[in-house]
Amino acid sequence: MGLREDIMNETVSQLPLRTAVTVPPDTTVAQAVEMMRNTRLGCVFVVDERGRPTGKFTERQVLKLVCGCVPFDQTVGQHMVPIPESGCVKMTDPVAKVLQGMQETRLRFLCVVDSEGKVAGLTGQKGLMEYVTEHFPRLIKVQMMTSKLHMNTREGA
Amino acid sequence: MGRKRNPVEPGEFEDPLSNYDPPKFADELERVLCETEVAQMPIRPLAFVEKDASVQGALDVMAKYECSCVVVQDAGQAVGIFSARDVLNKVADDTDARAKPITEFMTPAPRTVYTTDCPAKALNLMAIGGFRHIPVLDTDDKVVGILGPRRTTEFLQDHLI
Repeated sequence: MGLREDIMNETVSQLPLRTAVTVPPDTTVAQAVEMMRNTRLGCVFVVDERGRPTGKFTERQVLKLVCGCVPFDQTVGQHMVPIPESGCVKMTDPVAKVLQGMQETRLRFLCVVDSEGKVAGLTGQKGLMEYVTEHFPRLIKVQMMTSKLHMNTREGA
Repeated sequence: MGRKRNPVEPGEFEDPLSNYDPPKFADELERVLCETEVAQMPIRPLAFVEKDASVQGALDVMAKYECSCVVVQDAGQAVGIFSARDVLNKVADDTDARAKPITEFMTPAPRTVYTTDCPAKALNLMAIGGFRHIPVLDTDDKVVGILGPRRTTEFLQDHLI
């Protein structure tokens, strides 16, 4: 089995998923930033009362707010961006759909939803890279971690 | 020390590489990851600031190009990177940060790849090293590009079809 075949056939449930942080829309930006720091995530999902994702608030929004000098006591509801259709994947979707979704939406994070449409987790570029590495250690792990191209001195000299 | 070495008879010589198997790849995607070069990945454009820039200067560049990471360079060498994560972690609630030099807030000495490395090495750094953005250097150690999450996915996606 090759990498391409696995990406086409295996499902999202085999990806290393992360626990998503969900917040109601009236959370302040400062609180959201604190949560993102504590959980080391780059994104929080804004959900409605039934737990369905309505939008997301990411590092990019934080960057925009900082660039625009917007005070952090405003709510994430004011600054979240809506999640497009291809920004959500189901547990049963193939891994290729994650790649495709990230490409189409130009996003780094995708929301994983369960059969009822509730947020079940978070996947993204990092999970995808871990998946590729775990499945193909021969390809990836044998690569040298050192970043020097040349040796500084001749070997043994 | 006086081991007698038999001279090789003509016709007896065996080429040590004669039974060398070239690596086999299960599919085109695996071959591309191992045998092509980082130079063929989308590594440009590159947003950078000089080492003496302020945090505000870096934020302006990031806002202008809508990118989430700038390379901090000093005479063409990558001395650090400053990303949206640094903004979130260090700049967000520090109101005096804007006027301070970028060198206080950047992540110094980033891991890099060369244009001649294979894409698998870049993926290795991302997955195992946990780096999101990796500056790309040419063989003279000058920064010529940067690899980020979007570009890597784009590359994988392009070779998946």
